[in-house]
Amino acid sequence: MADAAIRTAPVPAEPARFDGVTISLGLPLARWSLRGRNPQELGNALGLPVPGRIGETAGGMACLGPDEWLLRLPEGSIIPMGEGQPLSVVDISDRAITLIVEGDRALDVLSSGCPRDLSKLAVGEARRTVYETVEIVLIREGETRYAVEVWRSFAPWLHLALVTAASHLPE
Amino acid sequence: MILIHCPYCDQTLPELEFAYAGEGHIARPTDPSALSDEDWERYLFIRDNPRGRHHERWRHIHGCGRFFNAVRDTVTDKFEMTYKAGEPRQ
Repeated sequence: MADAAIRTAPVPAEPARFDGVTISLGLPLARWSLRGRNPQELGNALGLPVPGRIGETAGGMACLGPDEWLLRLPEGSIIPMGEGQPLSVVDISDRAITLIVEGDRALDVLSSGCPRDLSKLAVGEARRTVYETVEIVLIREGETRYAVEVWRSFAPWLHLALVTAASHLPE
Repeated sequence: MILIHCPYCDQTLPELEFAYAGEGHIARPTDPSALSDEDWERYLFIRDNPRGRHHERWRHIHGCGRFFNAVRDTVTDKFEMTYKAGEPRQ
């Protein structure tokens, strides 16, 4: 019966390959939503480096807002829960999945639905934004590699939208 | 598309990331039970609705998530300025 609790990914496991871009499912991750007024306090409680400016990332942790961070670590990782301290550490591992958009045309695919000027997103920068109407966290992991964190229930639609955009790229 | 400057992110970003959140600088009564029905009605429902310069709250909902204040012209839809929540009325 334990099998019944195993989650299946809401998008195809097989990467979608196009000329100049590949859209694939990222590895399962452990994710935490971290809230706290003071980055220093949060860092001390977790024993991890905490990026201080919105958009910055450090060691898998992205600063999303002035008091909000997203921590992404390999599946099975464990962190201190900050008991007794004015912090919020919430496990949201299964809330989202990661879509990896990679290739020379990755920027064109993401720009098809994201209103931001993504060419200004630096390598290592992470921002919460939208793709059409779906909220995403976009992390530029490399020169032509982007990780898109999307809520599980929105993922099938977003995957279809990205694949459609990738298959209609102008020359 | 209208571009709005988020005072927390310190970036000028498309309006699709933002949500309007009503008139700004509406202070919650410190002792609600002491208010008359008319005062309570005024606090809950009565708003300025000016033609021209308007102080209002916005939220960078698909971004840093924070509320902030803005001064927008209701005729031209131009944002004059934005500033952090808690800062005095500009």
